[in-house]
Amino acid sequence: MSILQKVKNAVRSRSIHVSYVDVGSCNGCDIEVLACLAPRYDIEQYGIFVHNNPREADVLLVIGAYTPGWEEKLAPLWEKIPDPKAAIAIGNCPISGCVFARPHSYVDAPVAKHIPIAAEVPGCPPRPTEILTAILSLAPGVFHDYEVKGR
Amino acid sequence: MKRTVDVSIPLGPVHPCFKEPARVKCETRGEYVISAEVELGYMKKGIERIMRGRPWQEVMFLAERVCGICSVIHNMVFIEALEEISGITVPERAALLRVAVNELDRMQSHLLANFSYCYTIEHETLAMYLLDVRERVLDQLERITGARVTCAYIVPGGVRFDLRGEDAARLRAGLAGIEEEVARYTGMFEGGPLIATRSRGIGILSREAAIESYVVGPVARASGMPEIDRRLEHPTYRKLGFSPVSRPEGDNHARVMVRFQEVMASIGIIRACLDRLPPGPVRGGGIPGAGEIAYHGEAPRGELSYYLKTDEAGRVVDISIQTPSIMNIEAACHYLIRGVTSLADVTSTFVSVDPCIACTER
Repeated sequence: MSILQKVKNAVRSRSIHVSYVDVGSCNGCDIEVLACLAPRYDIEQYGIFVHNNPREADVLLVIGAYTPGWEEKLAPLWEKIPDPKAAIAIGNCPISGCVFARPHSYVDAPVAKHIPIAAEVPGCPPRPTEILTAILSLAPGVFHDYEVKGR
Repeated sequence: MKRTVDVSIPLGPVHPCFKEPARVKCETRGEYVISAEVELGYMKKGIERIMRGRPWQEVMFLAERVCGICSVIHNMVFIEALEEISGITVPERAALLRVAVNELDRMQSHLLANFSYCYTIEHETLAMYLLDVRERVLDQLERITGARVTCAYIVPGGVRFDLRGEDAARLRAGLAGIEEEVARYTGMFEGGPLIATRSRGIGILSREAAIESYVVGPVARASGMPEIDRRLEHPTYRKLGFSPVSRPEGDNHARVMVRFQEVMASIGIIRACLDRLPPGPVRGGGIPGAGEIAYHGEAPRGELSYYLKTDEAGRVVDISIQTPSIMNIEAACHYLIRGVTSLADVTSTFVSVDPCIACTER
């Protein structure tokens, strides 16, 4: 392994930028993601920085069942995120549609049909600690030795 | 006269300052915002369409998921409308517990709204303090109802769980701590010179404009209209001697301060509930029946209306929901943002009305 790769691994292990996108949820999971910022959970002590800029992000948190308004927006947004990247589905909505996956609704769940999802955190809504654990356990698998593993 | 527009700037749908997807299109001349327009439609799930034809047991959980932040009030208004139709009476203890849980939910919603505002004006320290207090409010909510966000605490004829004596004592102790912290942060917000520069006199909504634009909730009360509060008509709140807070200024600072004052008022209401809590059952009997009603309640963001029509088996034949945020979002675009002098104030003005896109679009 080259020295450059070692440096990259060291930097990436403590610097994960997170962006979140709500594609049609009830807002409950949004506020649990925001609660991760609170000093009690303190997401930044693990080197995770939550902002909402896809162009700088490493991890995209997808919240909500997929609604028609995002048809021309979610896939371009996913392409704007630079490699290496991973998407995590937060809550039941992006996994199955939760209570909204019924006849006559507009949602088109699961989100995995539209962008590749690397991990899923079920719950309605999941607790902030579960969201935090998901990001921390996914990150080494995706970002460690990324260039060696091949794209 | 020829209209000169330099550039049209869209903000959103994915924006660092917005919790939820909405698009605000601003037409600007230099730094001045000439007009603004909001574009919704990123969260339309069709909840009312799903609700029609389903039994109330399912609609109850769907109603709660109209909005995750203010889920208790959606639960409460739907169930109280159902009780009003079917003539179900609620025990005194359950009615007081409902109000206490509703006020806890209002506290966490207002603290989250003020967190968003402080985060938007880049006062991150105060924002993090507020988010920490909110966690303590959620702890109390979890202790009573068993869940942090969507708790389904209110059921026809009463509430799901009783409040045990030791939990009531813990709730009182928790409220004392929360009150102390919120008072400190209110002082920080009110006296902060940099916060005043970013907030005072920005996004002014005069009383006349507030009447014209039909704003509701804390936005109306910050423009000097204390009478815009549906809690004044609720029987339990009237028994508790509730009186709304208001401020005359109508700017961003007043809107945030009204929310801080309402958090303090909510603590007072919960204490009054705990003082009056009589012993007895928390669930009465009754079967939801047929009828038709329009019922209103005061959500953290303003007036919430449910039109509900059921058949004799308790199935929902027709339902339509009017949520408060749509009034406030439209007022924000046509009255508040148009008045700001700098493009930097557009996001903070928009966030100061506490827009909730999920319940606006349902």
